[in-house]
Amino acid sequence: MNAAAIGIWRKNPALAWREIENETVIISPDESVMHELNDTGSMVWRSIDGRRNAEALAALLVEQYEVTKEIALADTVALLDELTSRKLLVPVEAGERSAPR
Amino acid sequence: MQTHAILGSGVPSHLDLLVGGLPLRLCSQDSELLSAATRRYDGFNGTRQKRFSIEIDALALPSAVESKFACEFEGATVVADADSARFSGVRHEYALDSLLRMWLSWALLPETGFLLHAATVTRNGKAYVFFGRSGAGKSTIASFSQAGTVFTDEISLLRRVDGEWRAFGTPFWGEFRADGTNRSAPLAGLFRLLQSPEDRVDPLRPADLLKALLPCVLFFSSRVDDHERLLEILATASCEVAGHNLQFQKNRSFWEVIPT
Repeated sequence: MNAAAIGIWRKNPALAWREIENETVIISPDESVMHELNDTGSMVWRSIDGRRNAEALAALLVEQYEVTKEIALADTVALLDELTSRKLLVPVEAGERSAPR
Repeated sequence: MQTHAILGSGVPSHLDLLVGGLPLRLCSQDSELLSAATRRYDGFNGTRQKRFSIEIDALALPSAVESKFACEFEGATVVADADSARFSGVRHEYALDSLLRMWLSWALLPETGFLLHAATVTRNGKAYVFFGRSGAGKSTIASFSQAGTVFTDEISLLRRVDGEWRAFGTPFWGEFRADGTNRSAPLAGLFRLLQSPEDRVDPLRPADLLKALLPCVLFFSSRVDDHERLLEILATASCEVAGHNLQFQKNRSFWEVIPT
């Protein structure tokens, strides 16, 4: 199981982002790079709060979309993996974590 | 109109400009630089009303400890706060022009405005803004437009004024220098330039317009809160102004497909 599946993440505070028409545009000022998220990606992004893990985020997708728990979890882990590799998310260290949801 | 202050020595000490409706004062003891700036920004003379004060030095001065905006270009630097700025290491008008663009891109944030790589042309009192990066065809569009209707062929200034989006001409020109460009007009639409064998216009959704605009916006701040504000402004513009993809041939026939 990779880090995205077991870790807890928060948005990189060095980013600016904006949601428009259920899509999200993320800017990394240091790199002058624009990233885009579609509607499901935006929902996950919006819900990343430094407390929810991949399973909790996937559960939100199951509530919102007609998708099985297994597919939602696989998609969420893949997205978290992509977002962390692009440094759009940073890990929440154990000492920073509040009560699990 | 009096735009220079003359000291006892006869050396002009400042030049008042009006860019995008913003009154600003360039202050320098370098008379040659101010003379060059006076020629370069002819047509953008301001009133004595001073909103922003910009001190210009030829020497490269150390940056202020705390400033809201700082940027560097080829050894020249700008540091700025809400109402004032200092340009250091400015040895010629081209450095001044570069720093002025950088500073303006930041100073427009509280004014709900931004600078865009775009040509602006007016028709029937409305501004048509054609945006794209270098080589997209901005100067081509300007050259195929009626004389006297081109605000700029290089950098447009867009601002939301009293609830209405307006396009302003700027003194930052490209290959096609337009005359008398210190004017503004309400926006008719934003058109992304795409060179093509045919002329065609397709609407852009607000989200797609925002994504199309971003690479064409001049912006130099590295602060996250400035980028958040920029995104807010661009998202507002994208929702309030009609956006289009414009496929166009290199002749004046493109005007036939522009919605009026």
